[in-house]
Formats: sequence, C-alpha cells, structure tokens
Amino acid sequence: MAAAVELRNITKRFPGVVANDGVDFEAAEGEVHALLGENGAGKSTLSNILTGLYHPDDGQILLYGERRVFGSPRDALDAGIGMVHQHFRLVPPFTVAENVILGDERGEGKRFLVHPRHIERRVAELGERYRIAVDPRARVWQLSLGEQQRVEILKALYREARILILDEPTAVLTPQEAGSLFETLRVMAHEGRTVIFISHKLNEVAAVSDRVTVLRGGKTVATLATRDTTARSLASLMVGREVAEVERTPREEWLGDVILEVSAVSALGDRGSPALRGVSLTLRSGEILGIAGVAGNGQRELAEVVTGMRPPTQGTVTIDGKRLRPGDARAAIRAHISHVPEDRLHTGVAPSLTIASNSVLKAYRSSRFAWGPLLRLRAIRAHASQLIRHYDVRGGAPELPARRLSGGNLQKIVLGREFDGQPHVLVVASPTRGLDVAAIETVHTQLRKAASGGVGVLLISEDLDEILALSDRIAVMYEGEIVAELDAGAATLDEIGLLMAGGKADAEPAP
Amino acid sequence: MIRIERRLEQPRWLDVAVPLGSILVAFAVMTVVLLATGHAPGHTFWRLLVTGFGSMFALNSTLVSATPLIFTGLCAAVAFRMQLFNIGGEGQLYMGAILGAAAGIALGNASSFLSVTAMIGAGIVGGAAFALIPGFLRAYLNTNEIITSLMLNYVAALVIDYLIFDSLSYWRDTSTPSAKVFPQGKILPDAATWPVLHVGALELPFGLVLGVAVAVFIWVLYSRTRFGFEVHVIGDSPRAANYAGMRTRRKILAVMALSGAIAGLGGASQDGDFRHTLDPRGLTAAGYGYAGIVIAALARYNPFSVCLIAFLLGGLQNAGYALQGADFPSGLVGVLQGLILFCVLGGELLLRYRFTFDRRSRRVEAAA
Amino acid sequence: MILASGINNSIVVVVLASAVVYGTPLLYAALGELLTERSGVLNLGVEGMMLVGAVLGFWAVQKTGSLPAAFAVAALSGAALGLLQAFLVVTLRANQIVSGLALTIFAGAAGLSSYLGNDLNVADQPARHQFSAFLPHGWQTAPFVGPILFDQSALVYISWLLVIAVALYLSRTRPGLNLRAVGEAPDAADAMGINVSAYRYVHTVIGGAFAGVGGAVFTLWITPQWVDGITGGAGWIAIALVIFAFWRPVLCLVGAYFFGAFSGIPFTFQARGILTGIPPELFQSLPYVMTIVVLVVVSTAGVRRRLGAPAALGRPYAREER
Repeated sequence: MAAAVELRNITKRFPGVVANDGVDFEAAEGEVHALLGENGAGKSTLSNILTGLYHPDDGQILLYGERRVFGSPRDALDAGIGMVHQHFRLVPPFTVAENVILGDERGEGKRFLVHPRHIERRVAELGERYRIAVDPRARVWQLSLGEQQRVEILKALYREARILILDEPTAVLTPQEAGSLFETLRVMAHEGRTVIFISHKLNEVAAVSDRVTVLRGGKTVATLATRDTTARSLASLMVGREVAEVERTPREEWLGDVILEVSAVSALGDRGSPALRGVSLTLRSGEILGIAGVAGNGQRELAEVVTGMRPPTQGTVTIDGKRLRPGDARAAIRAHISHVPEDRLHTGVAPSLTIASNSVLKAYRSSRFAWGPLLRLRAIRAHASQLIRHYDVRGGAPELPARRLSGGNLQKIVLGREFDGQPHVLVVASPTRGLDVAAIETVHTQLRKAASGGVGVLLISEDLDEILALSDRIAVMYEGEIVAELDAGAATLDEIGLLMAGGKADAEPAP
Repeated sequence: MIRIERRLEQPRWLDVAVPLGSILVAFAVMTVVLLATGHAPGHTFWRLLVTGFGSMFALNSTLVSATPLIFTGLCAAVAFRMQLFNIGGEGQLYMGAILGAAAGIALGNASSFLSVTAMIGAGIVGGAAFALIPGFLRAYLNTNEIITSLMLNYVAALVIDYLIFDSLSYWRDTSTPSAKVFPQGKILPDAATWPVLHVGALELPFGLVLGVAVAVFIWVLYSRTRFGFEVHVIGDSPRAANYAGMRTRRKILAVMALSGAIAGLGGASQDGDFRHTLDPRGLTAAGYGYAGIVIAALARYNPFSVCLIAFLLGGLQNAGYALQGADFPSGLVGVLQGLILFCVLGGELLLRYRFTFDRRSRRVEAAA
Repeated sequence: MILASGINNSIVVVVLASAVVYGTPLLYAALGELLTERSGVLNLGVEGMMLVGAVLGFWAVQKTGSLPAAFAVAALSGAALGLLQAFLVVTLRANQIVSGLALTIFAGAAGLSSYLGNDLNVADQPARHQFSAFLPHGWQTAPFVGPILFDQSALVYISWLLVIAVALYLSRTRPGLNLRAVGEAPDAADAMGINVSAYRYVHTVIGGAFAGVGGAVFTLWITPQWVDGITGGAGWIAIALVIFAFWRPVLCLVGAYFFGAFSGIPFTFQARGILTGIPPELFQSLPYVMTIVVLVVVSTAGVRRRLGAPAALGRPYAREER
C-alpha cells in the first residue's frame, strides 16, 4: 500500500527559530495517524506546510507516491488535503453553507452567481452521514466552538478531501464531544481517507490512532504502531526524558477565611449580549478554585469583572471584606488582585514596549518606580533585570520589546510581575496554554506555592487535566452561569464533561 | 519569489541609510514627474536648494516658514503617539489665531510683556478647547476622531472667514472707508508684536524659540514621566492599558487638549510673530496643519526630529513660495513632500522586514 | 402645467433636486470606498483621489472634447492612485491611516491636483463640454418627480446602476462572497485558496476609480470648471458616509442624498434669497457639522461595535507572521 502522504527531510526556519529541522513523516491510506509533540515541537508548522500555507525551506512532499509542490493553499486543496486548524479558519458573519463553498471552484463553485440552496442540501446530507450535523443556514458566530469545528470538517468533506489534518481538535470539546469526534474520524478512515491527528495529549493518541509519529524540537523522533506504545513510553519520547506521572496531590494545608466573594454578578460580553448571568462564588485564602468550561462560556468575562476590567451590570465583587468599585481595574490592583490574562500578548503586556516597561506595567505609579510625576528609569531597568534572572526568562533583556519573547518566556514575565505584587487573590486564565512540559511544571509549582502561602487562586482553564491536577474545588461554567460546584477529590472527568456541555450532573441538584 | 520576514535585529546603519535612501527615491520619482511635465529637474532642484537655504536671507525666511510647522508637527506627533489621529491641527491653529488676536487687540498698547503672555495663553486655550470637541466625542461616545477633527477644520475655516468677511466682528478693521469695502482684520497694536532674537545675522522669531521649548517639554513628558508611560501603553495596546488600570478616557482628553494647545500656540505665533492681524486668506491657504501631519510621520513622532524636519520642509516651502511663477509650478512642493512621505513609509518596511529572494523554492519547482 | 411648474419651483422640490446633484459625487466616492473597505483596506486618500480625478477629467474634456473620454480619464487617474495606495498598504504593509493621509496630502488641494491644474493650464476656464440633462423635456418638467429624478445628467443614472451592481455583486456573486470573506476573515479566505492580496489590490484600485469619477462629477457637471480644492471635503464626507451606511450600498445612496441636500442648501438659499439674515457660513458648515452629528449618533445609539464593519478593516494581512 503506497503511503498517502510522505514528507521527506522538511525544513522550515522562522527568524530566530528552526521550526522543522529535517522532518520525515508518512501516513497510509485508511489510517488515523497521530502526530504527537509538545507545544513548540513543530507540529503546526508541519501541517501548515502540508496545506500550502507555508513554503518549506527544504524537503519534499509526496502524495500517493507523486512529488508535489504547493505554491498556495489552493494547490493543497486541489490535491485533496483538508485541514481543521486549531484556530478555526471560518468567516463568522457567513452562514455555514457560505463557509463551506468559500473558495471552491468545482461544480457548483464554477458559477458566477451563488445559489445557497443546493449547497445547503448537500451540507445537510454530509452532516447526517458523518453524524456531525449543523444547520447549514446558521451564522457561524452563533455556533458553539464544537459546532464550528464540525463546519471545518464539513468544509473538507464537501471538497472530497482524501487527507484530513486536525490540529489539536479536542482543545475546544468536552470529553464526550471528543469521543464522538473520534468515532467520526474512525468512519472516515474506514472509507479509505487518511486522518492526521495532531495532539500533545497521550490519552487521545491512544484512543484514536493506528500509528503515531513523535516530534521533538522540530525533529522526528520515532514512528510507532500505537498498540505497541504505552503512555509512559510516548511521554518520554515526547519530552526526551522520563516524566513523573502527573498525579493530583491532595493538599493538606489549612484554608483561611473567605477572601473573595462574587455575588450574583451579571455582565455583558464584547458583542453587547449577556455573557455572565448571576454568577456567585467564594474563594478562601489558600484555596485553588478551578473554573472549568468550554471556551466562551463566560470565563473571560468573569475574570475581567473580578479584576475590575469589565463593569458588571449587576452584582458585587468583595475582596477582603471590602466591596470593589465596579469596573475600576486600578482599585482591583490596589486591593491586591493579580491577574494573568488569557491573552498575554495584547492584554498581559504592551507588545511593542520594552520588557522593562512591561515589568512595571501596574507598579509604575508606586514610589519605588516614580518620583512624583517622573519615572525612576534606572530602578525600573534594575527591576526588570532582576525579574528576568529570577524567573529565568530566556532571551530577555530589559531593552528588548516584549513581543520578541516566545510564548513561554512571555508568560514568565507576566507571572513574575503578578506574583511580585504580593497578591491576596490571583486570577489566572489558561496559564499553561502553549507552554512546553518543563514550563508547565514550573507554572504549576508556582501556583501551588502561592496557594500554600495564603493566596486565593482562581484558576480558569479549558484543560481539564490541569483543573483536576491543581484545584481544591471545581466550578463548571456553562453559558454564563456556574452550573455546578464540585469537590475536586470526588469529581470525575466524565461528570465535569457532561456539565460543561450543559447537562446536569445526576448527583448534583441544580443550584 | 520574494519572501518578507520580520527582522529580529535592526542594524544601526539602516536607521540612517533607509530614510536617506527613501528621500533619494522621492527625488528620483520627482525627476520623472518634472521630465514628464516638461521641466528641467536639475535646474529646479538647484533653485529650490539655493532659494531655501543658500543665503542668510534664505535661512531667515526658512525659519519663518518653519515656525508654524514645528507647532503643527508637534501637534500631530503628540496625538499620533497614542494612536489618536488628531488631524484637526489646521482648525486648532485657526482657533488659536482667533483668540490670540483677540487678546492682542484687547490689551492695546499697555505692556508688551502682558500682551505677549496673554496671546500665548489665549492661543493655547483656543486650540485646546477646539481639540477637546473631537477628544470628548472619542473618549465618551467612541466617535472616530479622524473624521470629526477633519470636519472641524472646515468649520474653523468658515468661522474665521465669517469673522473677517461676513460680519462686523471685533477682529475686523472698520476704521477706514476702504476697509469697509475690502474686508481685513484689525492691525494688532505694537505691544502685541512678538520679539525677534538676533543670533549673529540669524533672526529667530520668538515663536520658533517657543516651539523648540515645547519640543523639549514634550520629549521630557513622553520619555521620563508617568504620563508619557501611560500614553505609550495606551498607544500600543488599549487592552493592556485597561488591564493595568489606566484611565484611558482622561488620557484621551489630556492628549487632545495638549495637541490642540500646541497648534493653538502656533496660531497665536502667526498673529504675534508674522501677520500682526487675523488673516483668514493667508492662514487657510498655507495648510500648516496638513503639512504638520507629514512632518510628524517623517519624524516618527520624535519631537526633536519634528523640529529638524520642519526646518527642512520649511525651506522647501519657502523656496516654493519665493519661486512661484510662470516657469515654476505651484503645488510642486506639496507633491515633493507627499513623495518623500510615501517613500519614507515604504522605507519603514525595509527597517521592519527583511526581503530575501527565495531561490531554493524556485529550484524545487524546476525539479518538479 | 402651471400647477406643475408651481410645485417644481417649490423649495422642497428644489432642495431635493439639488440633493441628488450634490449627492452624486458623494455617492460615487462612497461606493468606491465601500468596496475598498469590504476588502479590509481603509483608504483615507479619497479626497486626494477625487481632486486628481476632477482635474484630469476636466483636462481631458478640454483636450478631447469628449465626455466619455473625460469620464474614463478621471476613473483611470483615481485608479492609478488606488494602485499606489494598494502597493503601500498591501505589499509594503504601511500603516493604513498614515498612508491614506499621505495620499490625500500628496494628491490634495496643495499637492498633485493643484500642480496638475496649474501645469496643464486648466484653471479658471469654462468647460468645453459638460454633462447635462438629456431625458425628454416632458419628463423633466413632470410635477414633483421631474426635476428630482429626470432633470439630471447621465452621471446620476450611471451611479444608480452602480449601486445596484455593487449590491448584487456583494450579495449574489462568488467574487463578492470572496471579497466579503477577505474583509472579514482574511486567514479563513487564505486557507481556502483565495488570494487575499489580489482581492485587496483590485478593490482598492476600483475604489480609486470610483473616487476619481466622483471628483470629476464636480468639474464635468456641477460647477464645470477647475479650481483648487473644488471637492471641499467631499472625500472625507464619503468616508463617513460608508460608516453611516453600515457598509451597505443602498444605504450609501440614501446617505449620499441626505448629505447632498446639506451641501446644496447654501446655494439654493442664496439663489432664492431665503434667510438672508443668517450668515452664509452657517449653511456652508452644515454638511460638516451634520457629518459629525450623524457619526456621533451612529457610534453611540444602539449600534455599538461598529455594526457591519468588516472585521479585518485596517489590518494588514501577513501569512507567515509569528
């Protein structure tokens, strides 16, 4: 059987990094082939090369034994390659059908005038056949992330893609949704298509793939039949050393008084529609409260209300027994609420400003860094140098613009700055997204340390493993409400997954 | 094929080479335009140079032309730094000129010091107040300041026209029968004439000195103070500013007021230094406000570069004005300014990105 | 007939007719800007493009005596400036606001248009030919609708056809769908094999051509002569108009005539000696003040978040940026 896809010696450099360094890869017809690697191992770059978005600096692409050169995404589409990107490539105001036909130039697509009706019927058929039905006339921005992913898959199927690549597809799904996605992928493989499944999660790889190729540091490490592997062996291949099993360690520490109280808070989202509907929660000093939920169910807005960035329409936030002035981020900073935002590059830092400036983004007003209206530039620079040393920021210098740092090092700057503010409450959103295993371990250690030191930590994450590993208590958000609060010791993945999808837990009476 | 990559390091020499190269390209394009319209390029450029900078007289005239450009250039630079696109410098300058002239007329011949101080204050107030209109709309009603500040330029031009041509206003000279037929502004009293500083044979208008002082002030404000820090953060990422608890709305008002105040000061300087009357035709024809935007962009919003470029463009304008006639096309200086700006904008890309000719991918294609 | 002439002389009809006249240049320019912005490019150079279209269109009619030729020259000159803008913002990824301002300053009242006007010696001459009403006299004098709809030049009817064409293009055709995708989500369009740069180039050039024609409406019809800065800020009003129209072609038409009315009022009132006690500057400032007022209303009242604005407006697109 000829390989459906073969990549030989693919090299791709970006300014300052070699993202792919002589990568070899092959996937057969009719298989689900996992591409496993840490964040930054070069998986996304490789898939972008395979879909014609990037041009490799070196190497060859063979499809069904034939040499191909992709000048643009169009060439890859024409060659039968479909891709589901991690960040969906959809046009939000368009309908599902419009998104599906976008850029298509065969059959229906050759016509100058667009007739949505025909396409809508075809999209509905495909959806039913693969059990990924979505209303073809719905506007994409109204769909949940899981449904949007279905649209991406429908786009590929509509174009009769023989090879389908999915980049971290489960990141936006509940465990149950992920299970049903895996079934769809199996059906597609059974039909003779090739599915390339990109992930950094070992259990998913084991659940869905026939074979697995491991990437590390931009290089191919090994290609193995999945049944011959164990989670442990894959983990050490992926990271390059033995990894301690990540186990939830129940914390014995004493929990202090209630330090943060959010009561009946409602708020509007960026589009002006309700994003939070009467959210109440309490957080004790020394406690880690995990907020689980599929992205876009109000978690970001909750973090912004607590940190004063977003004025609530109703309800109050109380910290240390004092009511926070609504929508006043400066008051929240004064009340010792630290915040590691989800969007580091544009919210957590001002990207074009220097690391020195960013290191005092909140503290520039204090007498340590300012003398009346004047800034103490030397003190600021010294502070930045110290931050860089203390948090081991690689490639950092005080005079460098913050945007030059890689994701992990940028996160270290933000975390370092926020820890330095002697927080009483720490709001962290997706603190380890995009980081490699070593950096994730560091961040988790720091968060645990902060909690043991008496800080109340509000941990917002879409990564259930992270939530389960760190939290003392878990609250699940769905459509702007907290649908359940669980004790972390007793909660199971399945239970949380159901709640995230809006199902009520059997054991939990509705609040 | 050509590939464009973001540069990691900006070699120092590029900082100088690229702007110079851009200006050379602009002159090259201008040469083509001149040839196409039947003018001798070498001769034209030489005359521009000599008339703008070639003698003490030329230099002094150039300083006169440069003075308002420093103010309007700083006006734009101060606001653009925060990504606040105040292009109402033109109208704010008129308002400064109107209030400045009123102060000069009102105080009569009592005290020169008092008159000059009052005119400065009045100019600042006029420009700042007028700039606060788009500033307020932007800060509290989220209205695009580009369009509102520009529309107000037209309104300000109509106001100044009205004051002199269509009314018997406080500013209009009605003392003689001829002034009633041919409308013109009242001549300001002698006490309202701003001093000239003599340095050797150079004559520095007081406004020029003030403008440079404002540049120094802006430099300190923007690079050494908390205010400047906040302006930079807001300009780079409004979300980060919100996150850091900065009061963005107040800052918008403050920066608009500052920006307008500088333009208004430029207007007062027009009254006190040069025109000695409220002169609608002269002010509206000069287009100082728009030139200021060119200057700010060329100077990359650096206040000292604004002064330097205002001097150079002032020389060009002065030469263009002096040479205007049958054989020397009007509008040429404007075209040249625009070309320089375009080329520098394009040149910026060379600073930020690196171009490489990707021979390898071509080889792959050839092999396939 | 007497009745008809009575109605047709009424102030309402005269103002409405002048709204169509003065709205026409706005309509051309706004339609062009709408197409450009739908591709994600913000072009603040409209005023400059209109002025160059105005002066070169006028020059062409003096030179050739042919109105179609003048129309074509105006469109081509606007398109050439559009090409320049596209090169700067699409290929060179220059800041769209600064480069648009640069274009207006370069081409505007004290720049290229004035240089050309002077150099081609077209200032202060009457036009050799001009667009004029051509429909049957009976139609033109029909009560009420005659002066408003039929006593107009071909430029008006062409603009109506263009409104329909642009509306259908955006909503019904494949390139229109692709164009909207490029303006809303260039990364999605790119991933589906649509050439983002090509779409932005083409629509910035077309936008320039429309603006060039819009400028020529002044010199070939409304005030058939060339004076420096003849457009008087119409290009800026057109940019605002696209915002008021929520990026919809048909609303552009409504908005253009609304602002056309304000632009025409000073001339109408002056000609008829109405409200002579009020300074003419007050009427002249109406289009500018109304632009601000409507912009404020649009940006506050219930239509926050710039309803209808292409999501990628003003943002350069670069695929390999990391």
